[in-house]
Formats: sequence, structure tokens, C-alpha cells
Amino acid sequence: MEEPRIGVYVCWCGTNIEKVVDVAEVAKAMEKLPNVVLSKNYKYMCSDPGQDLIIKDIKENNLNRIVVSACSPRIHELTFRKTLEKAGLNPYLLQMANIREHVSWVHDDKKAATDKAKSLVAAAVTRVNHHEELQKRTVDINPATLIIGGGIAGLTAALEIADAGKKVFLLEKTNHLGGVVAGIDQSFPYFDSAQQIIQQFIKRIKQHENVEVLLNTKAENITGYVGNFKMPLPMLGIDAELEFGNIIVATGLKPYDPSAIREYGYGYLPNVITSLEFEKMLMSGKIETKDGKTPEDILIIHCVGSRNKNCHEYCSRTCCMTALKFATQLRSALPKANIYQAYADMRSFGKDCEELYLKASQKDIMFLMYDQQKYLPEIRRAPNREKCEMLVEIEEILSGDMVEVPADLVILMTAMEAHEDVKDVARTVGVSLCGNDFFIERHPKLDPVATTTDGVFIAGTCQAPKDIPDSVAQAKAAAARVLSSIDVGQVEIEVTTAFTNEDLCCGCQTCISVCPYKAIGFNEENRVSVVNEILCKGCGTCSSACPTGAIRTRHFTDKQIMSQIEGMLSMTKRKSKKTELEV
Amino acid sequence: MENSEKKKPKLKMAVYWGAACGGCCVSVLDVHEKLFDITELADLVFWPIALDVKYDDVRAMPNGYIDVTLFNGAIRNSENQYMAMLLREKSKILVAYGSCAHLGGIPGLANFTNRDGIFERVYDTSESTVNPEKTRPQLKTQVPEGELHLPYFFDDVLALDQVVCVDYYVPGCPPQTERLVEVFMAIATGATLPSKKTVLGAWDKTQCDECIRTKTDKKTIKEFRRPYEIEDDGETCFLEQGVICMGPATRGGCGYRCIKGNAPCKGCYGPSPDISDPGAKMISSIGTMIDSNDPVEISEIVDQVADPAGTFYRFSLPGSIIRRKIL
Repeated sequence: MEEPRIGVYVCWCGTNIEKVVDVAEVAKAMEKLPNVVLSKNYKYMCSDPGQDLIIKDIKENNLNRIVVSACSPRIHELTFRKTLEKAGLNPYLLQMANIREHVSWVHDDKKAATDKAKSLVAAAVTRVNHHEELQKRTVDINPATLIIGGGIAGLTAALEIADAGKKVFLLEKTNHLGGVVAGIDQSFPYFDSAQQIIQQFIKRIKQHENVEVLLNTKAENITGYVGNFKMPLPMLGIDAELEFGNIIVATGLKPYDPSAIREYGYGYLPNVITSLEFEKMLMSGKIETKDGKTPEDILIIHCVGSRNKNCHEYCSRTCCMTALKFATQLRSALPKANIYQAYADMRSFGKDCEELYLKASQKDIMFLMYDQQKYLPEIRRAPNREKCEMLVEIEEILSGDMVEVPADLVILMTAMEAHEDVKDVARTVGVSLCGNDFFIERHPKLDPVATTTDGVFIAGTCQAPKDIPDSVAQAKAAAARVLSSIDVGQVEIEVTTAFTNEDLCCGCQTCISVCPYKAIGFNEENRVSVVNEILCKGCGTCSSACPTGAIRTRHFTDKQIMSQIEGMLSMTKRKSKKTELEV
Repeated sequence: MENSEKKKPKLKMAVYWGAACGGCCVSVLDVHEKLFDITELADLVFWPIALDVKYDDVRAMPNGYIDVTLFNGAIRNSENQYMAMLLREKSKILVAYGSCAHLGGIPGLANFTNRDGIFERVYDTSESTVNPEKTRPQLKTQVPEGELHLPYFFDDVLALDQVVCVDYYVPGCPPQTERLVEVFMAIATGATLPSKKTVLGAWDKTQCDECIRTKTDKKTIKEFRRPYEIEDDGETCFLEQGVICMGPATRGGCGYRCIKGNAPCKGCYGPSPDISDPGAKMISSIGTMIDSNDPVEISEIVDQVADPAGTFYRFSLPGSIIRRKIL
């Protein structure tokens, strides 16, 4: 191996890093480390002049290793790998040290933050000494796509891809397409018929020559990798299987079950219903109580299951607008009824939504604000002497009064929450879930429909609660990502994979069962484990399980990791305790 | 041919023990009749267990006088250290012979305590000790004949290469005699030796490669058991029976003697090349075999490992990354 010649670049990130870390001092401290040829600091390393500085230095000083100490590698590692490639260096001869998220954003003591930054950069410098050149590999993309979920997002993505002439397998676990939208009457804010939209989609999907719909089918046992996934279909025969190159997960959400909230009496008070049950009522054209009477007093309660630590802490995003839609629809249907809204905060963001709020508020609707963290409205059956069905006690916080609202019908604006089986879907497609069991996108702003698993995209409410326009937009974005990958035809796959040193492998087979991607097989003839590097995702589980050190993960070898730790500790001044040998 | 070999000057060889049990020296004696082949090619110039050669005699030798020294035992006190340095100076090739010189060996387990801890146990609290005056060994003692000296007892036990440069390592507790003969013959006949710092007399591949027990990928452990707790069928991999066997993480070369004797490998031949910490490597490996995803159950299973430190670091504590318990 040629002698390492390392260039170190400490980024200011404008003032993001520079205001907490003494970047000049960090850069200077790195000059003393072995094999460091030059060490610089610059205002924006990721800018064109910043990258050009690296390219120029590589060429003029024969640098063959680069350390960029800046933000998280998740943001700019690819940027700087490309910079190295432009300068003719293998992109894996780069190491980043994250002194923004890990230092300047989380500390305010400049001295301590600078010391910590020095340790992290020194670790990167000692590590980069042991970096090896890795070669990129590509595989062909199968142009078929698997879409999991037949709701509005799945249908939209399927049509988008099928219309472009590519094959789509649309999986739906129930016996019908349409998802939640199929149970909605009109949509906000324009009161157009959700039915018309969804039924048209379903009709087109069913007739589309490029779409194969599989009802009553769950996504299970998916194997393979970007470009070349497979899923068995045991109900169609032992060998039946689907082959596809990309996956769009659009499994949606389900309504929260409000029977867990004692105050609302859902389940035993017959005229307390959920928003989706009310949608059914609207579609049937009959707004009436269980006894078939026309309600005179109607209360709509917001935030049922949302924004409360006992249920879900997140906002379900669509319920406020749906509640205003209900109030408006009720006003048209029952001009004389008393309509009440018990709300916690009115969230009317989005195009023409605030306008809907304004219009609804002019329709003789009583808005009552309650503190949904403290006192939920309490619903009880009204005594016989009262005309109404129920009485609802609400602590109205704007007036500070305890008010009692009569109600013949109470509509609970229930939250959206993850399906129970979402963990199974997540496991089979290899994508992580957040604490609320929503799928995690690769980057919330820069890559919102991709996931950290190549070839797997997400769309619609499985990523987070959202309304129809947002779900459709995401579905179209995911479809665009899939189509562009099909168009390119090939994809670069992970190069930081595991491999076996057959001279060391003793054939104990410890590695085989630990691999989550089933990428390791056993060669009976040579009695050694063999890694299928196309299936391998480089997670490193086998490397840590291998007791002989025969399996290594490229770019994460023991030597690289140990040198990184040594580098980090080398900057720590410690009181040296004299050993007896030195006495 | 035979004549020219006879003319070749005989090698000068030394065998010395540091903190050792004597087993390594016995393993040298175990060459039996091959000793004659060895003495044909080499003169033993220093070997305390067998020959009456004094330290002064060694001191009197010119530097580099000895061709090969087999140093067994760890470095536990100032005498071990002094002799290691002296023999380094006097020897062309210094071999760390046996587990103790290689990685610290069994004496290295003393790094879980220190000098004070050991002295307290040995001179005060052990069941057979009566020492109300709390007498401790003294470095110097006056007797009518003059002053007696004892070596200084260190807090740490060290492997040989932690005090002097070592040319080769021959692992084992003790090294397999056949391996010793092979290594010796290679040196004596002037065969091309591998690059310095190499482990000799052991394979790169670990025990499982030789072991004929049946191995599958079903290494899932619900319960750790000790050898006496299983009904061993003599055929199934020990790990697959829940018994910790260091075989997968331990170099071959010993002829998997323990396993042949129906006992799991204890790890005396040390790790295969490039492994920086054999104990940690095996712990990491065993960790993946535990068949549970429930943290409580996992910790219950882990608790079943009797003496984890002595199991995973039995022969390698001083030579590992952790080196000792921080006290």
C-alpha cells in the first residue's frame, strides 16, 4: 500500500460549527498527526469552492486520503465521495467526522466542544489511514413493481407506473380496494365527492393491462435486493412467486378505537359515533339517531386519541378539517339543529383550509374550546326529563366556565394510527419504524419517499397521518422514483459488504443463522461459509459473530474500527499513572 | 552431505521459565528420544529445570551468544522481567513459548486483582493461614550469612512481548511436543523462517476445521451448561449442546486434544491471526447464539455462564485489549 498522504478539512458550516468550535485550533491540532500532509478550515466545505479546494489540494499535493470534518455523513458523505472521484481518487478513501450534530449543535462550552471535535477528527484521521479502495458494483433492475396496499396512495402509484407501461403487482390484504377513502363521503375543503375519485381509480386499476391486483394477500417472505426482489405466493402453487425490482409500501393507517377513553362512553352510549361512522351516515343520506329520530343537538369532539400522552402524542392532521366539513354538511342538512364543536386547537393549515374554517364559523356553529391535556368532555346519558339523549360536560377554557351541552348525537374525531400488522410489513421489506410505528423515510426533507433500504419506497399515511392531496402527492413522488430507477435500468449496490477469508474460516457456521438477509451459505466441499455479496447489506452482524475473524465487513474492519478508537483516545489528556515498571 | 552437516557448528539453545507452572519445561522433556536428535544439533547452554547453570554464567555470555531461547511463563515479578531482558540481549531468536509467555496465560488471570489483593489472600485470609502479625515477604532480609533478596511482585502480570521484543510465538498450555520438534528442526536446519512476530507451531485455521464433531448452523443456545450437565453423545458440536467451547476462536495445531477427550476447548492455543481480543471475539460470537429477544431472558441466560472472565480470557487476559480489571 502506498504511504498515506492525508488532507484534513474542518468546515465552519457558516456559523453552525464555527460559533461553538474553534475550527482553526482543530485544524492545527491535526497537523501533528502521522501522515497528515495538510489541514485546513473553510467556511462551507460542501460549496463548490470548498469542494474545488479539496480537488486542487489532492492534485497539487498528491493526497490519497481525505478527512472532512463537518456535518453528518448522512447529509454530505455522498457529496464528498463524488469530490474525491472528480479528483481521481477512490471515493472510499474518505472519512467524515461529524462535528455539527455531534458537537456544535449539542454543546455550548467552546473549550470542551473544541476538545471533543479534536477527538472526533483525530479518530477519523487515524481511521482513514486504513481505508481501502472499494469498487462499485451494479445490478439490473427488474421493471416490475410491487405495491403493498390498495388505498388511495397505492392506487395512485399503481396507475402512475402502469400508465408508463410498466408492470405493477398491487397487493391488498382485505377483499376490496379503496382503503379509508372508500369510506368517505365528501372531502375537504372543496366538498367534492371522494367516492367519485376512488371508484374511478378502482375501475381503471381493474381494467389496466399492466396491473395485477392480488386481494386478500399480505406481503410476506420477501427476499432479494434492489432490482431483484421475490415474493412467494403459496396459495397459487408451491413454485408461484412474484418477481419485481422495486417496492412501494402504501399500507395506510386505521382509525383509533375510542372505547379506550372512558369519558366518551363509546360502545355503550349508542349515539356516540366515530367520524368514519358518521361518513357512512352521510353517504346513506340519513342523519339520525339510533332510534331513527332526527338529532336536534349535535356535538363534534376533536382530538380523540390524538395529542394526548395517554393515546397518541402526535396530531392526526386531518380531523380538524373533517370536523369543519361535518359541521358545514350538518348545517345544510339540518338547518335548525344546534351544532357544537368541542376543539382543543383548531389546525386549519393547507390550501383553502383556513377559508373553510372562516366559512364554517359563519354558519351558526358553537365552538367550545377544551383543554385536552387536562379535562376531556364527559358524556353521560341525559335523565328522562330532558329532551336530549345525552348531556356533555365541558370545561370551556376561553370563558373559564363549566358548560353543559345537550346532545342527541356525538361525533368523535378519531385519530389515525398504525395497523397492528405494520411490524410484519416493516420486517419483510426491511424498513425501520419510528416510535409511533410509522415508516421512517430516508430523509424527512431531502428524500421523503425513499427509505434506508434501496428499492423500497413509502407513500401515504403509513409514513405519517396526512390528507388525500398529500397522500396522492407522495404516491406520485414514489412512482417517479421507481420509474426513474427502471429507466436507468441498473442500480449501484452496496459495496461495503461482508466477505469470507477462506484461509481462516473454520466452518463452524455461526454466521449463517445470524444473517438477517439470508446472504450466507455453506460450501460443503471446502467446509467454509460463503457470503452472497449481492444479498449482503453490510450490516456487520456476521463479522461480530464470526469467532475466527474470517468474515470481515468492507469499510468496517476491526483494524479500521480499532484505529478509530485509538485516534479518539489519543487526544484525551489523562494523568498518566506511572507503572511500577517505570519506577 | 552428512559430513558437511557435522561440520556445521552446533546451535546454542536456552530454555527459561518466568511465571510458569513447569509444564512447558516438561513439554520440552516430552520430546523423549527425540532429545537425542535435538542435542545432536544443539547444545543446551541454560535450562534451570535440567541443568545447573547460574545467572552469572548467562551474564558472562556475549550478546547474541545464544541462538534460540524458548522463554516460557509470564512476567509477574522483577526477576522474570530482568531475565527476559537479559535473555533478549543474549539471544539471536527469542521465542515466547507457551500460553503464559504468549498472552499471559493462567497467571494472567491475576490481573483481575492486584499485588495487595493477592498478598492479602495468600498471607492473611486463606483458610490454611495463621498470620496475626500480618508478615509480608520483604525485598531484603538480613541473615548471618548476608543480605537475602526477593524479587519485587508486580501489580500486573504481563506477556513476554509486553517487556521485550519477541521474535516468534509458540502457543499452547503446554505446546504440543510435535509442534516444538517441528519448530526446532526448522530453526536448526536453517529452513526459511516466516517473518518475525509470527505464531509458529499452530495453524491459522481454528479448531473446528480439524474437529470431527458434527457442526451445523443451528448454534442457538437457550441454556448454558457445563460439561458434566450434559449427556454428551461424543458427536455433536459442544456449542450446539449449550457448552461453551473456545474451539471456533482458537488456533488449531494441538490436535484438538481436549475435544477428543470429550472436554470443550479452553482456548490455550490463542486466537487466529488479526484478532485483537480473543475473549471479546468469543463473547461477541456467543452473544449471537443466545436464542432469545427478551432482555430479561437474555440476562438470565447470560448469568448461567459460570466464571465468564475465566472462561473467555482463561489464557489471554494480559495480552487482550482490556489487559486487567481496573481497580
